[in-house]
Formats: sequence, structure tokens, C-alpha cells
Amino acid sequence: MIDALRFESTRIRTLRSTYWLIGLGLLITAGIAGIVAIASSDEPLDDTLIMTVLTGGGEFATFIPIFMAIIGIFAVGHEYRHGTIQPTLLAIPQRSTVLLSKIVIVLFTSAVVAIVSVAINFGVGTLFWGEAPDLTASPLNEAVPGYIVMVMIYSLLGIALAQLFRGIPAALVILLITPLLVEGLIAGLSMVPALDWLQPILKFLPFGAGQRLLAVTPYDPQGGPEFDYLDRWASGGVFAAFTVILLAVAWYLFKKRDA
Amino acid sequence: MITAEGLRKRYGSKVAVDDLSFNVRPGVVTGFLGPNGAGKSTTMRLMLDLDNGEGETRFDGRRFAEIRHPMTEIGAVLEAKSFHPTRTARNHLRMLAAGSRLPKKRADEVLEFVGLTEVRNKKPKGFSLGMAQRLGLAQALLGDPNTLILDEPANGLDPHGIHWLRDMLKALAAEGRCVLVSSHLLSEMSLMADELVVIGRGQMIFNGDVDEFVKKFTQTTVLVKSPSATQLTETLQQMGAEVEPNPEGGLLVSGADASVIGEIAHRDGIILHELATQSASLEDAFISATGASEEYVAHDVREEAASLVDGQGAHNETAGGAA
Ligand SMILES: Nc1ncnc2c1ncn2[C@@H]1O[C@H](COP(=O)(O)OP(=O)(O)OP(=O)(O)O)[C@@H](O)[C@H]1O
Ligand SMILES: [Mg+2]
Repeated sequence: MIDALRFESTRIRTLRSTYWLIGLGLLITAGIAGIVAIASSDEPLDDTLIMTVLTGGGEFATFIPIFMAIIGIFAVGHEYRHGTIQPTLLAIPQRSTVLLSKIVIVLFTSAVVAIVSVAINFGVGTLFWGEAPDLTASPLNEAVPGYIVMVMIYSLLGIALAQLFRGIPAALVILLITPLLVEGLIAGLSMVPALDWLQPILKFLPFGAGQRLLAVTPYDPQGGPEFDYLDRWASGGVFAAFTVILLAVAWYLFKKRDA
Repeated sequence: MITAEGLRKRYGSKVAVDDLSFNVRPGVVTGFLGPNGAGKSTTMRLMLDLDNGEGETRFDGRRFAEIRHPMTEIGAVLEAKSFHPTRTARNHLRMLAAGSRLPKKRADEVLEFVGLTEVRNKKPKGFSLGMAQRLGLAQALLGDPNTLILDEPANGLDPHGIHWLRDMLKALAAEGRCVLVSSHLLSEMSLMADELVVIGRGQMIFNGDVDEFVKKFTQTTVLVKSPSATQLTETLQQMGAEVEPNPEGGLLVSGADASVIGEIAHRDGIILHELATQSASLEDAFISATGASEEYVAHDVREEAASLVDGQGAHNETAGGAA
């Protein structure tokens, strides 16, 4: 396992896209944090504002989560895209070890990136606000870790999707389309009176539920379907469960199929 | 020593590898031959646990999955370009070295050995097929393995490169390693291999040494040139020999020795201008051994052209090419 981890960490470090994705993600979210902090510099700080700055707009534009998911997709997808799965398995024939080491390294990377991003944005916010926000009080003491967990789940989802489809394009499409189109469609349909039986499942739509991990206010329908999400960690659990189920299927197929 | 037993692999209803068993001895280069689609690559993938199928391959008694750092015992390259296009050659090898607990400097050593030192920090997306093959070889040699399994390593190499590959494989084999090299080109293999495993349509055609293969699958023919060709043809056919006109002039006789033909000519008072035994080449043996088992047979170019000229445009069902 140690050797597989060393292999995987060399792999991720010798890939230019790793640096691009991390650098771009940190830069964009810091930029958003800066804009929001400047614009709000003479408003009183509230939890929503602080969270928007710390996550660089994570409630509405999931840059870091998506970029880390792409790192996850690349971790597996490149192996198939460029045929490196053969040398990889010739060096480490135990497929579970290969996949597990990818998961460990990608989760570690995404956790570090999320923490660094929050730290940078904290600095940016403090700079423009002239005071450091207090993160020890509820709900920020849970929402900030929740955001980091969400980023990690996204990166794991990237691995699961790329391993399931054994390639990059399909995984990317599912990652980007599902939250937007599929979940949007189901939410929209549930508002048709004849289809209101769809309402109870809305809280189990994985991406929407995952988004609750960084919520600081109760869900506000804003004209959308009215329902209650599970609490923060249970909703996160829904997103995590969805990811783990996909991963389990992908893992099983990886062990069973031809490389 | 590699022992493969009962290897079998099917894709849907199609059997790609059909109950193959063979041994690869150390100390010699074993050529793995077969026409396109014969199942060479599939067999190698089965041997290395990359594909799921039936049968078992043992490397000095152990299965591939049981070997702790397989790269240090088995070096294999199955596809010419299996590297990330922007990861440098050196980093590609360092990554594999890290996974096999080999020192970093091994990457530079093997790159030097295959002659890629100059481009070791370049992105391999610009590599020619020949350079990619060299990087593949470097990868196979990374762990200084006792066994080499190479799928079409000569593909894309220039004549100088093929020469180099041949000398290298022979030298590596001479050090007591097992070397299994596949190819669909016999000319390539005839210079390299001492032993052959020949397959067609997934089935074993021949397993043994090169000379034996030639002996088994070729008929010696005799080239005869004579002004009284018709008369001679009749006489020879009556005694059971096969006579065919040689495209370059004269007759090709099989089933009768040159000495016999000479005596008959003398007896019948036929003038001979030329009487020469044609020694069969390895290439001929290969074609005669695998011709019937070729997977994808091209239409004969001349027939195809003729049917086009006829203007019928009808599909020509005659599968020629591999006579
Ligand atoms: N993934 C696959 N799915 C379906 N059929 C396959 C697959 N891989 C190989 N085959 C079939 O199995 C047979 C053997 O293929 P294989 O690639 O092993 O041949 P080969 O001897 O390596 O040929 P070549 O000289 O062209 O490399 C072929 O008929 C091929 O069409
Ligand atoms: Mg092949």
C-alpha cells in the first residue's frame, strides 16, 4: 500500500493539470471573495456574507468542489484515456490497492486545497472588512467544516464517475449536468400539482442535499418547491451515500472487468 | 521459465484465445507469431492478469498477482503509447519506480540504455512511434526483470532500431532471461527468435524451434527452365509431382527432387536451361502455416481491380490474398 501511495502521489504531482486546477480554483474563489468583501465592506457582517467570502461563492458557484472533482476524474480517467492503466497494473496488480491509493491521495489533496482556500479567503475578507470574522460560533463552526467535507465528497465523486465510465468525457458530463438539469427538472416537476408526490424525494437529491453542508440559514424555497431538507450532516450523508454507492459499483466492475 | 496453461478468452460468442498452452524457456528469445487478430495481444494480457479469462500462467512457478513487486521480475509492454502526453519520460518512469520501490535513478539509467537521455525531460506527446517504443522498452527494463513480455516492440522502429532491438533482446536472453516477443511480421522475428510459438485464430499452430518450423511447413520446390516445358510438365505430373508456371519464367516443381527431374530430362532427351532447388524461407513457412487461419483476409488486389474494371460494382465474394 505504501508503494501504491508513493506511485499515486508521484502521479498527481507530475501532472500539470493538478497545478492548473488548484491554482485556478484558489485564484477564482479568492477573487470572488475579494469582490464580495469590498462590496460589503460597510455592511454589518452576517453569517451568509461570511460564508460567501470564505467559500468564494460556494453556495451558488461551486468552483473548488468542481475543480477537485475534475482532479478526481483525471486520477482515474487519464489511466484509460492514455492507456496508462496497463503500466499501472503491471507495477501494482492489486486493483483495490490501486483504487484505494487514488482515493486516499485525491481526498488528501482536496482537503488541503479546501482548507487553504478557506484560509486565503479568510485573509482576503479580514483585509477588506478590517476585522476577522468569528468562526467559532454556530452555525459557522459547522458550516466551514461542512464545506471542506463537501469538497472532499465531490473529489471522491469524480473518482467514482471516472472509474464507472472508464473515461473522462462521460464523467464530466454527468458531474456537470446532473445537478443542473436532472435535479432541476425533478424539482420543477414536483411543483406540477399532479406530480406533487415527487416532493418527498427532493431532500434525497444528492447534489442539492450536498449543498446543505455549507448552509447557514434554513432552506428558503424562493418560489421553488416547498419542503424541508434533513439537517446539515444528514443531508451531507445523502450526498456521501450517493457517491459511495457509485464508487462501490465502479469498484466492483473494476475488479471484475478486463483492464 | 514461463508456463502458460489452458489460456482461453472469449468476447461474446467469439473465441479470441482457444486453449493455448506453451512454455517460454530462459536463455533464448521466443517469438510469438500470428497474423492480425490471431490473439497474440489477448494472450499476453491474459498472462499478465489484465484480462479475465480461463487458464493459468506461472512465472517461475508463481502467478502474476502473487509477485510482490512485479516490475522487478516481469517487464512488459503491451501498447506502444501508454504514457500521459504531458508527463515527461523521466517522470513517467519515476512514477512507476516509486510504485515498485525502485530508486529514482533507475529511470535515468534505463533512459540512457534505450537512448532517450536527450529527451528525458521532454513531453512525450511529440514522440515518434519509434521513440515511444523505446520508452516502452525503458519501462519494461526499469526493474531489471528476469522476464520480458513485449507486444510488437519492433513496430515503428527503423532498420537501425530493429537491429538494435534484436541485439539487445538476444543479449538479454543470453544472460538467462525469458524473452517473449510478439510480431505479425515473420521477417522481423526470423532475425531475433530462436524458438517460436505460432498461433492462428487463437489456436496453437506450432511451438518449437525455428528450423523445425521451416521444415514442417514448407515444401522444397525446384525451378526448371526448359524449351520443352510442356512435355516435361506432362511427364512430371504423371509421376505425381505438382507443376506450376513460375511468374518470373520457368516452372516450379514440388514433389520431385532436382536429381529426379534431371534424370527424367536426360532420359527423355529434354534440354534444361536451368535446374535449381529453391530453399524455402521462414516467410513461406509462416504463410503456409497461418494462411488458412488468417482472421481478416483482404481481397486480392488484382481481382478487386478486375471487378471494378468490369464495371459491375458487385461485391466480390472471393477472398483471395492468403493462398
Ligand atoms: N476488447 C475486445 N472486444 C472484442 N473483441 C476483441 C477485443 N480485443 C480483441 N478482440 C478480438 O480478439 C481477437 C484477437 O485479438 P488480438 O488483439 O489479441 O490479436 P493480435 O494477434 O494481437 O492481432 P494484431 O497482430 O493485429 O495485434 C481479434 O479477432 C479481435 O477482434
Ligand atoms: Mg496485437
